[in-house]
Amino acid sequence: MTRGSRFRNFAIGSPMLWIAVFVVVPYLIVVLFSFLTRDPEGIVTWTLTLENYREIFSPVFLKVCGNSFILALGTTALTLLLAYPFAYILTRIDENVRRFLLVLMIIPFWTSSLIRTYALIILFKANGLLNTFLLATGLISEPISILYTETAVFIGLVYTLLPFMILPLYASLLKLDRRLMEAARDLGATSRHVFFHIVLPLTLPGIIAGSTMVFLPALGLFYIPDLLGGARSMLIGNFIKNQFLTTSNWPLGSAASVVLTLLMFLLLVWFFISTRRAHSGDMETVK
Amino acid sequence: MKKVLVLFLAFFLPLGAFAADREVYVFNWSQYIDPAVLDLFKKETGIEVKYSTFESNEALFAKLKILKKNGYDVAFPSTYFVERMRRLGMLKPLDHAKLPNMKNLNQGLLNKPYDPDNAYSVPYMWGSSAIGVNAKVVDPSTVTSWDDLWNPAYKGKVLLMDDVRDVFAMSLRSLGYSGNETDPARLKEAYKKLLKLKPSVKVFNSDSPKQPFLNNEVVIGQIWGGEVYQANEENPDIKYIYPREGATFWADNMVIPASTRNIDHAHAFIDFMCRPDIAKMNCEYVGYATANAKAQEMLDEKTRNHKAVYPDKADLDRGEFQTDVGEAIMTYEKYWELLKTQ
Repeated sequence: MTRGSRFRNFAIGSPMLWIAVFVVVPYLIVVLFSFLTRDPEGIVTWTLTLENYREIFSPVFLKVCGNSFILALGTTALTLLLAYPFAYILTRIDENVRRFLLVLMIIPFWTSSLIRTYALIILFKANGLLNTFLLATGLISEPISILYTETAVFIGLVYTLLPFMILPLYASLLKLDRRLMEAARDLGATSRHVFFHIVLPLTLPGIIAGSTMVFLPALGLFYIPDLLGGARSMLIGNFIKNQFLTTSNWPLGSAASVVLTLLMFLLLVWFFISTRRAHSGDMETVK
Repeated sequence: MKKVLVLFLAFFLPLGAFAADREVYVFNWSQYIDPAVLDLFKKETGIEVKYSTFESNEALFAKLKILKKNGYDVAFPSTYFVERMRRLGMLKPLDHAKLPNMKNLNQGLLNKPYDPDNAYSVPYMWGSSAIGVNAKVVDPSTVTSWDDLWNPAYKGKVLLMDDVRDVFAMSLRSLGYSGNETDPARLKEAYKKLLKLKPSVKVFNSDSPKQPFLNNEVVIGQIWGGEVYQANEENPDIKYIYPREGATFWADNMVIPASTRNIDHAHAFIDFMCRPDIAKMNCEYVGYATANAKAQEMLDEKTRNHKAVYPDKADLDRGEFQTDVGEAIMTYEKYWELLKTQ
């Protein structure tokens, strides 16, 4: 065995081992638990059952899933609308300014997102910075309520997840061949035409990657909606937490986790397929 | 010189070997003891404390359930978990003769339904959840009952705990039932009543209910006494009211798990924790109310007389400690999910 291949085995093997021990094994335990029976006297009994999966598809759980999906979809749409123009402009400005803006975008990540969420509370609360400022300038006479509304939830989620949308969009806009746009213009296409028929299709892989990176975390996040929205509705994350911490129904909580993971897996498969389609699409365009 | 060394070794070696057995394994909530107490215990008794922490009763329960022997000597479950673990044979009965310092405890906290005669547990820290109001907006003298939360004047300004048991206890008490009700029909009634309150609720929060009060987001709602005490340092207008139906009380208790390694060390540790000077150290470090009446007397006047932290005996007697509701928790959770998805 040469030194090079030993190094290669080590480099590949150690992360694999890490993943196997700390991701695969615990996850298999979750899958196993989802088929066991709850034991009111303890934790679980070793009776295999499909009951947990039957119980999961109750109207309440579907509603909980619905709430989570709407929130995640809304967040994805909003981040896309905000991030696209920003990423587009980033690719068109002076390199030094661009680097500076990218650093600015990364800096907040040095602080825990939980702390940044608390900072948003300080900003939005009835006697917070925003209301104090608006009252002082006379723009409003009564404090406006933002905290504990859906608006606050969306602001919090979009704020936290925006960079995950900007970075893939930026990468795919950077690769965009300017000559294609020039050619289209020369042939008389309007700006709208250029955008919808050239820029948008060519950056579709970036859009799909960004949307996945926003949608999937948004589906599982529940502390931001809890803290900023006032916890008046229940999301998948809350549901799973309650099964473990309130009713000690580990099998049902595990089943809910497995369902959530499967949903995310299907979304990733869809993402993979659509990216490949988008890529083969741009091959055709180039031809 | 050599002789001295041999003597030295002869004297200390067995002690060293012995010291390995002089240990007590303690399992407590995080940030729930003055670390200096552990050193003092070692200094006075020679028993070393092996200390570890948990974040929820459920985690404690799961761990004790899995460890059949060589587990922990002392653990700190809340009332309803004391009851559940006692029922499931997970606790060792206490020998009160080995706990002379129990006499220092607040008698009002002993012999409660979750552990009659304190056969298995000794209270450590305790507190209540009752009604908080912002006196700038709500006249505290007009609020006497849980029913006042339903007053339409407070629509959109109400806070409830984000905890199924606390919220249902409140609704059940307002209907004249016990907060530990297990009858499905009564739970349904409590749920129906909560449905009417839901549109008034601005926020569910049990991490730190004082924050929405301090932020002027809510003017009335459920809150812990200890949180009112803390909030008053910033805003003295937050008032605490024990409703006439009675508040909900919680307590964390010291117990000896059945998997104990050394029951004598466990008793020694619990008794040490009941000593007034030690209880005072813990109380000042942790910030919750001590179950130790002697230690309470030693606190500064402002703290020991703050009604939110140390209620009158009448308010304490009128209130209820949470007990284990058994399988009825499934019904609670079902209605909680319905309430939250409405």
